[in-house]
Amino acid sequence: MMQRLQRLLPFLTLIVLFFALTIATPHFLTAINLASVARQTAVINIMALGMTLVIITGGIDLSVGSILAIAGLFGAMGIKHGLPIPAAIFVGIGCGLLCGLVNGLMITQFRINPFIVTLGTLEAYRGLALVVSKGLPVHEIPDSFSFLGDGNLLGVPFSLWVLAICAVLMHLVLEHTKLGRYAFAIGSNSAAAYYAGVPINFHLTAVYAIAGMLAGLAGMIEASRLMTGQPTAGQGYELQAIAAVVIGGGSLVGGEGSVVGTLIGAFIIGLLSNGSDLLGVNPYWQQVIIGAVIIAAVAFDELRKRKLSVSRA
Amino acid sequence: MLLSLQGVQKSFGGVKALRDGNLEVCEGEVHLLMGENGAGKSTLMKIVAGMFRRDAGQMLWRGQPVSFARPAEASAQGIAMVHQESLLAPHLSVAENIFLGHEGASTGGWVNRGKINERAARVIAANGFRLDPATRVASLTPAGKQLVEICRAIAQGSSLLIFDEPTSSLSESETREVFRIVRELCSRRIAVIYITHRLEELRAIGDRVTILRDGATVHTAHLKELTREDLIQHMVGRPVNAIYRREPQPRGKALLQVENVSRGILREISLSLHEGEIVGLGGLMGAGRTELCRVIFGLDPPDKGVIRVAGRAIHSKTPRQAVAAGIALIPEDRQNHGLALKLPIAHNITMPDLARISSLGFLRSNRETNLANEFRDRLRIRCSTPQQLAGRLSGGNQQKIVIAKWVARGARIFLFDEPTRGIDVAAKQEVFEQMDKLARQGAAILMVSSELPELVQVADRILVMCEGRITGELPGRTTQEEIMRLAAPSAPRPGDSAEARALPDRT
Repeated sequence: MMQRLQRLLPFLTLIVLFFALTIATPHFLTAINLASVARQTAVINIMALGMTLVIITGGIDLSVGSILAIAGLFGAMGIKHGLPIPAAIFVGIGCGLLCGLVNGLMITQFRINPFIVTLGTLEAYRGLALVVSKGLPVHEIPDSFSFLGDGNLLGVPFSLWVLAICAVLMHLVLEHTKLGRYAFAIGSNSAAAYYAGVPINFHLTAVYAIAGMLAGLAGMIEASRLMTGQPTAGQGYELQAIAAVVIGGGSLVGGEGSVVGTLIGAFIIGLLSNGSDLLGVNPYWQQVIIGAVIIAAVAFDELRKRKLSVSRA
Repeated sequence: MLLSLQGVQKSFGGVKALRDGNLEVCEGEVHLLMGENGAGKSTLMKIVAGMFRRDAGQMLWRGQPVSFARPAEASAQGIAMVHQESLLAPHLSVAENIFLGHEGASTGGWVNRGKINERAARVIAANGFRLDPATRVASLTPAGKQLVEICRAIAQGSSLLIFDEPTSSLSESETREVFRIVRELCSRRIAVIYITHRLEELRAIGDRVTILRDGATVHTAHLKELTREDLIQHMVGRPVNAIYRREPQPRGKALLQVENVSRGILREISLSLHEGEIVGLGGLMGAGRTELCRVIFGLDPPDKGVIRVAGRAIHSKTPRQAVAAGIALIPEDRQNHGLALKLPIAHNITMPDLARISSLGFLRSNRETNLANEFRDRLRIRCSTPQQLAGRLSGGNQQKIVIAKWVARGARIFLFDEPTRGIDVAAKQEVFEQMDKLARQGAAILMVSSELPELVQVADRILVMCEGRITGELPGRTTQEEIMRLAAPSAPRPGDSAEARALPDRT
């Protein structure tokens, strides 16, 4: 009973946070505010879905913020040069896929630690975005592109629909496909997976490619929200995405993580920053609060696991 | 009486690990502590060493009631534990490890390396060990690491040392070295509590034995008064046919042929495994037995030579190709190479063959559950549900999961590398029964074992390796002495005692 309660802790935190904010400020529970929270968190959330997959394998992807920028930039440039909007969105997603593929290939073929590879590409992709754009944002995009980031479908923000679809797909991948199963196996014990005949390199490469692809999609949504292709977009988003996964129960040593957990984690971060905005909390303190929440979440999780792991010897 | 425990109890989150722990240890005796996995041996010892606090019961140390909240309190009283997995700092030197936490207060935070090395050298020399105080611990063998732990305990002036399965990762000669040390300690009036699984070790070392079963002490006696069968019966709680003998089977056609394979230390290895037979592979540590399994399983492709499955040459560069050819490896290091401990039993069983439970690219959880249930029953894996995490099961049950996943994959050639390492007596029998069953169903089995009695009991014929070569083949019902004769690096003259032949000094 206690254990189940502790596992539900992130979810309960989210609920409590939601009600606390509803009581604390009349501006919270309004359609406009909630839609704005949804739009803000959708971008991070979509990246965090890819990050969940990566973290389950025991890896990390620090480059997703830079991929977001480079994908958004290429997509925006495509639109500006007359590409139809759906095609431009695919350009952005494809660009993310390519960047992720490069990450995955370097990790598996050169056997470099994912932290190092993606730390390198965090810099390199950002640099490429700046080189291509000469450091200038891409403006003058047709208004119709704003639908992706700011539009509504059936009264719900369009980006939330995109998130929902991605989340369902990712959940299916994790729980019901070989790729997901192998991701858990690799993260839990890559040697055992190798000994079982699992093609590790192929699946790891696919995992980073998917994370890149989702970052590319997030980049198009971000570009649509800003109505510019910004080479400096998404700085620090990778850390927020990692935080969302970790708050939601993902373990940086691999083998653990879930879509539901990550969604909850991202919404907790989203509500915390929205709530402190509404309550007029100093934005500098916001950072302190979010940092504390990340550490507290992991500390609780560790305590829970320690209790579980005490077995008789 | 040095140490006396009465009615000690300990629970972890509702699970009673220890119901009624009783133990009495005299000064200078070697006291064996035996029992199956989960019987509560380690829990009891961790209470003595101050790593756990007992929930109830009494502990007397030199006649005084004591209760330790921390290992430091126990070691201050002279109780130290030598752990199964070494608890040393690998990047520090031997000397630094010996005095870690006891560097001496007078130095005021500064560590005088020369002085510490000198002090360590004195401790090492006093015990007749061969160790250089300045070596980094990471570069030592498992046996060397245990020596360091023993030195640490002695340097702290311990009068009771607890050894938790010290020989489970050691070679024959290292094992003998540990025995020598234990006897040496005992001659200096230091008491030793020795936890072990290996029945073979008993008489070489112990005076008295205490047996635990299901968290309670069931028997204490002088070793002289007990037969091997008595011991097993006390441990398991029912009589077990300790001497497992496989009925020899008519063998079928050759399934696996290894022809002139060389790689690393392996020199021109040739062997064949036939349907329906269990072939033992004996030899000393470092003879190349595990290396041979790795080559056959595609972990290290051969530099020279050919491996054939059912007559067709396979050229595996990864285990994936070997697995596709029907080869399975039950690795020596089960926890690191055989299982994903954080994943459910069912996921471990289906890992090599997800296609079997998928349709249209999606995994079918009902098919997976059915398959897992089927193999749980077939291999008698004791668990509450197949959704339980593999890491929560005992060693024997974990080994059965590893076997199950290959049987589910439809493997035909099984390489068992030390299949009984770290599992208890009853589970060993079950593993042998499974091997027998597989062979009856037409599988070809290679069994690597350092436990000579097991080889003699289970194998239909035995190949012996020495220094990377196969030095001979023996019939299944051979003697341990015959195996040792082929396993020793230089062939001894006839007339040497069996003991001398079994003791090649390779240190």
